[in-house]
Amino acid sequence: MSLAGLQSWLLQEGIRDDLDAIVRLTVRTELDNLVAEPAAPSTVAIDWPRLLLAGSILARSDQRIDQEGALRIATAAISLTNDQALKDAGAVLLGKLSNFRAIALANDRHLLTAGLDGRLGVALRLESQRREMDRSILVESSGAWLQMNDFQQRFWNSAGGGGWLSASAPTASGKTFLVLQWLIDQLTAGDTRVAVYLAPTRALVSEIETTLQGLLGKTKGIEVSSLPLRDKYEAARAGGAQVVLVFTQERMHLLANVLAGTFSIDLLIVDEAHKIGDSQRGVVLQDAIERVSRANSKLKVVFISPATQNPEALLADAPDGVQTVAIDSDAPTVLQNLIVANQTPRKPKLWKLTVRQQQGSALPVGTLELASTPAGLRKRLAFIAAAAGQRGGTLVYTNGAGESEDVADLISQLLPQPESIDPELAQLADLARKGVHPNFRLAPLVERGVAFHFGNMPSLIRLEIERLFRLGKIRFLVCTSTLIEGVNLSCRTIVLRGPRKGIGHPMEPHDFWNLAGRAGRWGNEFQGNIICIDPEDTEAWPTGVPSRARYPIKRESDAVLELGDGMADYLSRRGVSDLSSLKDSDKFEQVGAYLLTTFMRLGSISAASLSKRHDAASLAKLDQALAALAAQIEIDVDLLARHPGVSAIGLQRLLEAFRSYAGDVENLLPAEVASEDSYDRFVTILGRINKHLFPAFEPEKAIRLYALIVVQWLKGLSLAEMIRRNIEWHRTTGRTYSLPVLIRNTMELVEQVARFKAPKYLSAYMDVLHLHLRQINREDLIDHGVDIGTQLEFGISSRTLLSLMELGLSRMSAVALYEKIARDDLSKEDCVAWVTEREGQLEAMDFPVIIVREVRERLLAARRL
Amino acid sequence: MPAKPIDLGPLHFAKRGDAVAYLNDMLHRYDVGDRVGADDTVILRTALEHHPDAEAKKGCGITHFSVRTADFGTKCFWLNRTDGTTEKFSHRACIYGT
Repeated sequence: MSLAGLQSWLLQEGIRDDLDAIVRLTVRTELDNLVAEPAAPSTVAIDWPRLLLAGSILARSDQRIDQEGALRIATAAISLTNDQALKDAGAVLLGKLSNFRAIALANDRHLLTAGLDGRLGVALRLESQRREMDRSILVESSGAWLQMNDFQQRFWNSAGGGGWLSASAPTASGKTFLVLQWLIDQLTAGDTRVAVYLAPTRALVSEIETTLQGLLGKTKGIEVSSLPLRDKYEAARAGGAQVVLVFTQERMHLLANVLAGTFSIDLLIVDEAHKIGDSQRGVVLQDAIERVSRANSKLKVVFISPATQNPEALLADAPDGVQTVAIDSDAPTVLQNLIVANQTPRKPKLWKLTVRQQQGSALPVGTLELASTPAGLRKRLAFIAAAAGQRGGTLVYTNGAGESEDVADLISQLLPQPESIDPELAQLADLARKGVHPNFRLAPLVERGVAFHFGNMPSLIRLEIERLFRLGKIRFLVCTSTLIEGVNLSCRTIVLRGPRKGIGHPMEPHDFWNLAGRAGRWGNEFQGNIICIDPEDTEAWPTGVPSRARYPIKRESDAVLELGDGMADYLSRRGVSDLSSLKDSDKFEQVGAYLLTTFMRLGSISAASLSKRHDAASLAKLDQALAALAAQIEIDVDLLARHPGVSAIGLQRLLEAFRSYAGDVENLLPAEVASEDSYDRFVTILGRINKHLFPAFEPEKAIRLYALIVVQWLKGLSLAEMIRRNIEWHRTTGRTYSLPVLIRNTMELVEQVARFKAPKYLSAYMDVLHLHLRQINREDLIDHGVDIGTQLEFGISSRTLLSLMELGLSRMSAVALYEKIARDDLSKEDCVAWVTEREGQLEAMDFPVIIVREVRERLLAARRL
Repeated sequence: MPAKPIDLGPLHFAKRGDAVAYLNDMLHRYDVGDRVGADDTVILRTALEHHPDAEAKKGCGITHFSVRTADFGTKCFWLNRTDGTTEKFSHRACIYGT
């Protein structure tokens, strides 16, 4: 029998009964409110020495299923037995799996007796020490040795050279921590001056920025920034402090635009790189990668993605002659129990829990008892989560922001009233009341240790929720698909029922597992639990509970091109004058814009890297459609490159509209936001964008609302003030409203319109207008201040507000502080001086404590370094 | 009732309805948020003299006129004063004096 054959036999027959018994036992220790079972299995009947020997054989496999078996055996030996020798053997087995974090956790929990090395005996000790040395990496920047698992070590050893690298590993493999460590090492020991770390969402950008600053501590000579401003970049290029710029792809384009032709970076890290397949922003990411690699052919690129099938796909566009490496791992770092919950017939408060194993077998583990009868689906989700995940670390997935609030509210009602409120929870509640609205639903919930979390929330609040959830002070977190979009947040237990992504689309298996993969905090827990409710219900789970799947990486551009002639047909229609009749623009506009710009740069799509992946006939058809459009365009490629996702033909039509404008050319410019004309001027400009560039601000009747939000945002109004004014408007016009919905809608308008669509299309509008002004010799009208894209991204129009955000404050804190500052023209140094003068009075200014904390950390602590 | 003629700067209108129509056309040549051009400003300044609240409307003095949103999604002329204040006015009221 071969080794692989032996491993397979062990799992299927050799140790199956014992393995099932320890699965039941370990899972039962994880869950609360299980009905007591007199016939529950005991650990006595298990043949531990035989099981541990089998575990040692399984640990030699590179198959996930075998490694999971070994990990289960090691964990059970450490946590279920009272025999020191068995526990020691479990720890040795963890060492064989290079799972040093789990050994550290066992030590922290006092599950292992101190002095393990001394008890191992010479041979085992030598082997264990050799393994630790083999699995350690010298961090050049600090001189420290880091213990790593196989994936981490392969990454570290491969990332050292030049070229392009793509690494993929399951969630909870320590990817982000590893990459940030490696990045710091590159900056300290290498010759990298400017590194860019791309993350797909602002939420993840904030998180990475904070983590990186924490890792750097007081390290001198390395700056971190998430603002697309030139000063830190230029300082780094001039030999000053090196810089890591943490950006979304849109922000990176903003900085590249500010720096025009001089933008060049040494190292690019693309986190959540599978998002290159995202249906709206994937092509903007692809464009960002291509843009920086065009600017520097020696650029080093590192892609990171969670559990993907084909990480090497990201390397296909590396320049010729550049070395490429793909690193793939599917090794488990923590046990993940996939549990399904079915109601006991005629007993709605009793739910049978069954573990589904990879071999397809189902193993009953017990019955969960709910505190109350769950009438309706939301209650079912809330009550099961509250019962099974009572000890905390519980994440509940809902299909939308409104539902997340309702489910969180239901869970909170089942929890006992706390005798006292934790001070940090009270501070978060205070921030929610002052920063959003006195009756924002989050406030009373967090006081009871429950929170909800969705994408359009202000980052200061969302990050604090995540922090307190990690600390265990928030015990239940009800979330939406924002978490799939990449926030590094793991949990002990995740509870779902009929998860959807977006509106109504059942979740693809890889999305499900990207989310479910968060169950199990490596280094904090030995296990994670995924509880799927009503697995047989085809409404909830149209294709059943998904088996474990890995994400297929496919560029959005390739996916759209594979649809057949749709793209070429769309392009041939794109030149029409009436944009409101454009069909399928959601599907084709972004990629169409990318293809047109690429065509204009290269003269043919066949010369582009993507041509390797598509057939010649369809490329020829595309070339034909693109050539017809390109013949009408006089705007140059440099201007086009500044606006990824915005169509060149749209920009051309806008230029023509400017040329044929009969009125005073000054009326084409936005008005100063402080002026009375500003709102109306934006109404007209957004209408002009819809008509000539792209119908981005639809429906037409909502333009006034969009313009109002844009003006309020640019004026530096706080979210709380915008919500207050929205309520006021509803009252004065006699319109009814629901407060939670109004709050969510205002947040959504800020994030989706003021911070996403408006900067994208208004900065394109301004660029074309400047081109027109130069052509008609009216350069005197061009304002060279902060560009509108940056102003909108951050919601600033004054120098002081910008300085405060450059110092690292969130917008919420910056706006709160700015309300107390008279001058609108303060530099960063002036702002620090202003705060320093009032250091003793900050607490008396009625700011939420979390804002005071951020001001102290960012403005006062920095001064002391 | 005989038609009443009216002069607005260099322009002469045989009847008031024509003056209103002229100002309507002027208004609709502009988008909301536009600043009124120099030639049209001359006409509007004289039209405003006929407004029943002309003095209150002018206040400390007018820098320029704009076209901006009025009620119910319509648009109208607004005057902008030297002290930064702004106010809308009805061009019909200028012509008919009510």
